[in-house]
Amino acid sequence: MIAVWTVHSFIFSFNMIKLFLKSTAYLVMIFLVLEVLVRIFHLYPEDSPRYIDELGVEKRVPHYRGYSVTGNRRQNFSEYHINEQGFNSYREFTPSYSKKELALIGDSFIQGFHQNYYNSIGKKIENRTEGLEVYEYAYDGWDLADQLHLIQAYADDFAKIDRIVVYMKYPMDLERTEYEANTSRIATLNSTIFKVRNNIKLVYYASEIGFLDPVKNLFLQKQDVQEISNNENTTQSAEKDRDSFYIANFEKLLKNYPIDKSKTSLLLDKRFTSPAFIEHCDANGIDIIDFGPWLAQSKGPVTLVYDKHWNNHGRNLVAQSIVDHFGL
Amino acid sequence: MLFNSVEYLIFLPIIFVLYWIVAKFNNLKVQNGLILVASYIFYGLWDWRFLFLILASTLVDYIMGMAIHSKQEQQKSSRFFLWCSIVFNVSLLGFFKYYNFFVDSFIDTVGLFGYSIKSTWTLNIILPVGISFYTFQTMSYSLDIYFKRIKPTRSFLDFATFVAFFPQLVAGPIERASNLLGQITQKRTFKYEQAVQGLKLILWGLFKKMVIADGIAPMVDDIFAHYGSFSASTLALGVTLFSFQVYGDFSGYSDIAIGTAKLFGIELMSNFKFPSLSRNVAEYWQRWHVSLSTWFRHYIYVPLGGSRVSKLKSVRNICIVFLVSGFWHGANWTFIFWGGFHALAYIPVFLMGRNTIYKNSVVAQNTMLPSLKEFGQVFSTFAIVTFSRIFFRSESLGDSFAFIRRLFTEFQWEPYHHPMGYRLMDYFVLLALFVVYEFSIRKDERSPFKFKSPVVRFCAYTLVIFSILLFYDSGMDRSFIYFQF
Repeated sequence: MIAVWTVHSFIFSFNMIKLFLKSTAYLVMIFLVLEVLVRIFHLYPEDSPRYIDELGVEKRVPHYRGYSVTGNRRQNFSEYHINEQGFNSYREFTPSYSKKELALIGDSFIQGFHQNYYNSIGKKIENRTEGLEVYEYAYDGWDLADQLHLIQAYADDFAKIDRIVVYMKYPMDLERTEYEANTSRIATLNSTIFKVRNNIKLVYYASEIGFLDPVKNLFLQKQDVQEISNNENTTQSAEKDRDSFYIANFEKLLKNYPIDKSKTSLLLDKRFTSPAFIEHCDANGIDIIDFGPWLAQSKGPVTLVYDKHWNNHGRNLVAQSIVDHFGL
Repeated sequence: MLFNSVEYLIFLPIIFVLYWIVAKFNNLKVQNGLILVASYIFYGLWDWRFLFLILASTLVDYIMGMAIHSKQEQQKSSRFFLWCSIVFNVSLLGFFKYYNFFVDSFIDTVGLFGYSIKSTWTLNIILPVGISFYTFQTMSYSLDIYFKRIKPTRSFLDFATFVAFFPQLVAGPIERASNLLGQITQKRTFKYEQAVQGLKLILWGLFKKMVIADGIAPMVDDIFAHYGSFSASTLALGVTLFSFQVYGDFSGYSDIAIGTAKLFGIELMSNFKFPSLSRNVAEYWQRWHVSLSTWFRHYIYVPLGGSRVSKLKSVRNICIVFLVSGFWHGANWTFIFWGGFHALAYIPVFLMGRNTIYKNSVVAQNTMLPSLKEFGQVFSTFAIVTFSRIFFRSESLGDSFAFIRRLFTEFQWEPYHHPMGYRLMDYFVLLALFVVYEFSIRKDERSPFKFKSPVVRFCAYTLVIFSILLFYDSGMDRSFIYFQF
């Protein structure tokens, strides 16, 4: 009261103070109601916690169920289920020599948070085959180093699996030659600020739709896009150098994390992959599943409109390309 | 700095608090100085170099205003100084806004006679934001002094604040000195009701901009960019949506401007009075961009004789005003055609003597719902105005006519899909609710949340903010359409 009186006497009129107090009260109440509305309509995404296991593999904490939500007004709303092994899947992974199994390894495209977990690419492959179990070892942001490290870390399991399909995007997945656990990302995601964000659903939703981007941009330095645009203007010789660099990285990765070429295939879209890399794989006996023609021949769209990930039709085509490739 | 930006969200409260702290010490000069500095910061954040243009325009009109007043007994001298002001401001506009247009038009005209000139005269000129608005405002000052409507201010600070007052600097409302300058020279006291009204207008303006205008902008952009591949139904949808977009965008801006000014104890004129509910084109122009229409009426139409001359001359005056109005909007033939189209739509109403019959009333004045006749009138006026927007939105005249040709020839029905995959129904429901709400508040454009019950009012605020969250699109270019004018 004394403070209000002091402020009134020296700085503001009572009407000003009234305006501040009432506006603040309104804002707090509106915030609370909006929080309730966002929860009622489930506009917020639910991100399951992540961790790095004892073998150094970054994955999700097991036994979480939730909904992945994209865009304003729930443009994409799908259910996920993290299994015992820490991956989004409709099944548990129980490799054995007696069963027929296929491991599908990849990033967010395979992880499939943008689809219901019971309608994933793995499930679609199983639906098209008999007696095959598909294990989707996938995690958003994984590159080839993550994926090959996974195979090495879980070598016992992968030894029992009949076929291994590794999804990759050239050249993005070949930026590094050695796996290193991304502890800083896990630390950031587990930090208090992120925990607060995740628990205040209104803030989480606002953050996800980009509503808070202008605020973030005020404080964070904008990423320098110069390098990207320069990369796009590469000359032919520079492209050759670039291919040499990425192929060398690929070789180093295979040296660091050897694969069983007889049962491992790369799943990629040849349309967006350098011919030099394809030739290199062919020359070294690395099997390639090219799903590009399947997507190219499609009359309808194969990706989500508001998202670059495959839509249901696209996932069907990718699943079919794998089934056809192996004659399953 | 945009009204719908985080920078403004930080800027406004700081200036607001400082302004009223200064007011507590009864120092008008410091208060106006603060507004002036704030306005220059607000404007300078776009491009500080253009501050010199505002300063030049301010200085010239300040001096000319004094000169016109001091020579008022000598008609010739007074007129000379008035022309100095007009020529200076029009030259500024002419160079920055119309130079390239005139050069290109000259080259095209010469080309019609078989001569070709290589276009090396065009310059890479950036259009200073708001130049069309503040030059008109400063010109009105000189004109009002010349016509003895006002006396010039002796304080350069007051005059500079009048010219650069940031809420209305970049897109109006174009204020006349008799209204705004008078308030700037007077002591302002904080009024709680006025400030609350201002905040409500800001919220409503943000809703109109961020939800209505920005929400439908991707569809409008998509349809106008690919009009050659769409059927008539989609083109009709596109231009109708554009009607809502441009209204939401510009009236939203005006509401924020008026609301912000209220926070500083200043009342700006209304710029939009529910134009979509007009019963004929004349009423539409009494409700759409009122400050500009008023400017043209006062400074072009009336001096030309207005409607006090013969019918033929009045028609000529109408044509002049609409063509100039079209040209004011942009250096493109599309805007001149848009103005010409409105002149053609206005003249029959004028000749029938129906141009002022709705001046002091609103649709469904004493009833809850409009009569069938009123409904038909509103619908047909909206259709005419919406049709004219094809010229307003198209890149070139060729595009406008090609768009119109398809609109009347490609009759097959085709479903349209939102370019970003959103459900169209969301937008239709949103627009329907918006129209119904605007209709319900049609008698007072300055009180968008006029509910007696505090609970209902609170629900309305919450709903508006919730809809901003639902329709916010981070990928949108969030600048205002009228900034390009």
